[in-house]
Amino acid sequence: MLQALDAADVQFIVVGGLAATIHGSPRLTQDLDIVYSRTAENLERLVRALRPFHPYLRGAPPGLPFLFDARTLKSGLNFTFVTDLGWMDLLGEITGGGDYDRLLPHSSDLQMFGVSIRVLNLEKLIEVKRAAGRPKDFETIAELEAIREELKGR
Amino acid sequence: MGYHPSAMDPVIEAYKKDVDRTLIRENLRCTVEERILNLIELQKLAVEARRAGQAARAAR
Repeated sequence: MLQALDAADVQFIVVGGLAATIHGSPRLTQDLDIVYSRTAENLERLVRALRPFHPYLRGAPPGLPFLFDARTLKSGLNFTFVTDLGWMDLLGEITGGGDYDRLLPHSSDLQMFGVSIRVLNLEKLIEVKRAAGRPKDFETIAELEAIREELKGR
Repeated sequence: MGYHPSAMDPVIEAYKKDVDRTLIRENLRCTVEERILNLIELQKLAVEARRAGQAARAAR
């Protein structure tokens, strides 16, 4: 999925569990969370990249008329999808972090498996998890802060 | 409704005591690609465990 996004020049930032993994978290995550730029061009690129994987609204009854296109993305903001390659959350903005443009200065470029991706920095990841204030994130926040302490202690 | 960040501090500190830092240190020794590959293997294990659990329940 990341390869497809990179190949289509989609502007996105990896957040959530995969970002935590990249920073060193041993926690198991099952979905890919990205914050995407909502420019018209990027919505088109996003659709072109993901359509082959048949995104469908997660939890929705099968057979619901759903068209994955730029217009649908423009009408909404945050989407939770099931795709042929797994679960994916497309986020127009996140609590405590805002949209793509606001998160961009808090992200870094990363090369992995020949793919170029942007990932949210550890500090900002902690900040947005704290801002969300969800009890389910408490363990993750503790873990991310422990990672920060370990990195500082090096 | 979320918790105010300052109200979370003692809770996070309590959780931090139980963080397995040996896992974190092992992970920090890995490259990012190695961390992702470990995650993929863990995901495969979770899928297989889920399948095995469902099969066992169905056989009861």
